[in-house]
Amino acid sequence: MPSLNITLVSGPPGAGKTTWIRQQISSAAETAVYLNLGSGNTPNDFRRACAIDPTYLAAEVAGLTVLPVEQLTDFLAHPLAGSAVYVELGFHIDLTSLILPDQMADCQRVAVLPPGTRHTEWHGWADLVVTGVETGAVLSQPHLWRSVLSGQVLDLASLNTFWYELTHGAYGTVQRAKGIFDVADGRSLHFDFVTGLAEATYLELNLPRWLNGRPDRFSGIEVVGEALEQEAIAQTIKECCLNDQAIAYYQQQIKDSLDPGDEVA
Amino acid sequence: MKIAVMSCIHGNYEALNAVLSDIDDQNADKVYCLGDLVGYGPHPNAVVEMIRALDIPTCQGCWDEDIVEGLNSCECSYPSVLAEKRGKVAHDWTNQVIHPEVREYLAQLPLSLRDDNLCFVHGSPHNQHEYLMPEVDAFVAMERVLATGADILFCGHTHVPYVRSLDVGQLQIRVKLTGKSEPQNTSFSAPLKRIVNAGSVGEPRHGRPNATYVIYDNDTDQITLREVEYDYQKTCAAIIENGLPPVFAWRLSKGLEYAERADDPTHVCER
Ligand SMILES: [Zn+2]
Ligand SMILES: [Zn+2]
Repeated sequence: MPSLNITLVSGPPGAGKTTWIRQQISSAAETAVYLNLGSGNTPNDFRRACAIDPTYLAAEVAGLTVLPVEQLTDFLAHPLAGSAVYVELGFHIDLTSLILPDQMADCQRVAVLPPGTRHTEWHGWADLVVTGVETGAVLSQPHLWRSVLSGQVLDLASLNTFWYELTHGAYGTVQRAKGIFDVADGRSLHFDFVTGLAEATYLELNLPRWLNGRPDRFSGIEVVGEALEQEAIAQTIKECCLNDQAIAYYQQQIKDSLDPGDEVA
Repeated sequence: MKIAVMSCIHGNYEALNAVLSDIDDQNADKVYCLGDLVGYGPHPNAVVEMIRALDIPTCQGCWDEDIVEGLNSCECSYPSVLAEKRGKVAHDWTNQVIHPEVREYLAQLPLSLRDDNLCFVHGSPHNQHEYLMPEVDAFVAMERVLATGADILFCGHTHVPYVRSLDVGQLQIRVKLTGKSEPQNTSFSAPLKRIVNAGSVGEPRHGRPNATYVIYDNDTDQITLREVEYDYQKTCAAIIENGLPPVFAWRLSKGLEYAERADDPTHVCER
């Protein structure tokens, strides 16, 4: 059996786990496999589970295989020879009670932590501590809220307003927010926010424009914060969504303006 | 004589009170109001009653018109579907609580007011819904002022105060007179015109919650932009108590206006 090169990556929300993994994969020659434990599931399961990081990495990193959690056992039995495996652990996963399959027992453990972090459970757990980015004040009662939006198409101007409000405290203290949204012109956009970091705009995911009805691919949002007004957040997102008629109208407009060579889903 | 001009109170009674006290402190002789007495804010009736009690000459704003005529602003005047939905919530709420005599009062407001060489409108002389942004083309701006025949055009509606002098309206023509070999240059200079935007009393969008208005002194020909602090938390609390969307309170406290402006603010719906 080929030996597996597995790296487990853990750390608080917003410290830069996914970014670090992306850097490792991009700088390595070998193929890579990515698995996310704890942020729900994978793009194959997008109707039920929130899969922002896997969707982002699958769209942005060439040669990366995103592995659905339910295929983990199969994969470990018949691993891809010579590929690096990165397993990202959600911040809310309890490291002490985490039970890993035997094949993963001697993997490398990496903690991505904000600068100056000391004496955390991550330090005891990790083989290697990577200095990530500042995540702002540590919340005493971090709360995770997420919602799957697959099939929804948002008005971009509304989404920008909502994102500004969300990340400036209109719905509670937000430490970390990320999302993938389908917008009216068919693009899939990745929004990413960490307290204290310079305001980043969204990234256009390397996916074909979806111009035929409601998108059959993952979109969703994940927010980590304190005293989150979940109902208001959900309601505002709902108010950013377009109805079938508007979706059809905008998609037709884009189709009419595209060149024949443009990639469309 | 000092003339105070205010606009866009939007049902914010606390802000109106603070501005009226400030106008008193500044010893203004006259007060004009450029409309948008109601809409978004929690006290539309109280605001109108105060304006009426003080007999402040007022022209009709876009929100005042919409409350009388039914929602007239087309969706193209909203920058996003979210802003449109919020605007509709505000409209429906205001429409429900407004007293019949307040509605009657709003209905009979004039579209413009004149005082000597001064003209007062809500948006522009053409329409209550037109935004005269500070960066609007100089010729368009000049046309709007000339349309009134006044020297100073006071407007509101954008919620950001500004003073713009239109001394760039200098036209030059070359005439070649018969019998003379050299062309003659003739310059015409339109007399100095100004556009003064009074900002917003109750719904500022300059990044602070403070109310803004302007004072014009016609003896010194000086225009002063006033920014007045008030207890905006009271208005925020009233917004929530009255069942208006809590995000309105948050936006007010940040000086963000309740709904952002349209992408093309000069667009006027032809409907
Ligand atoms: Zn207004
Ligand atoms: Zn207006």
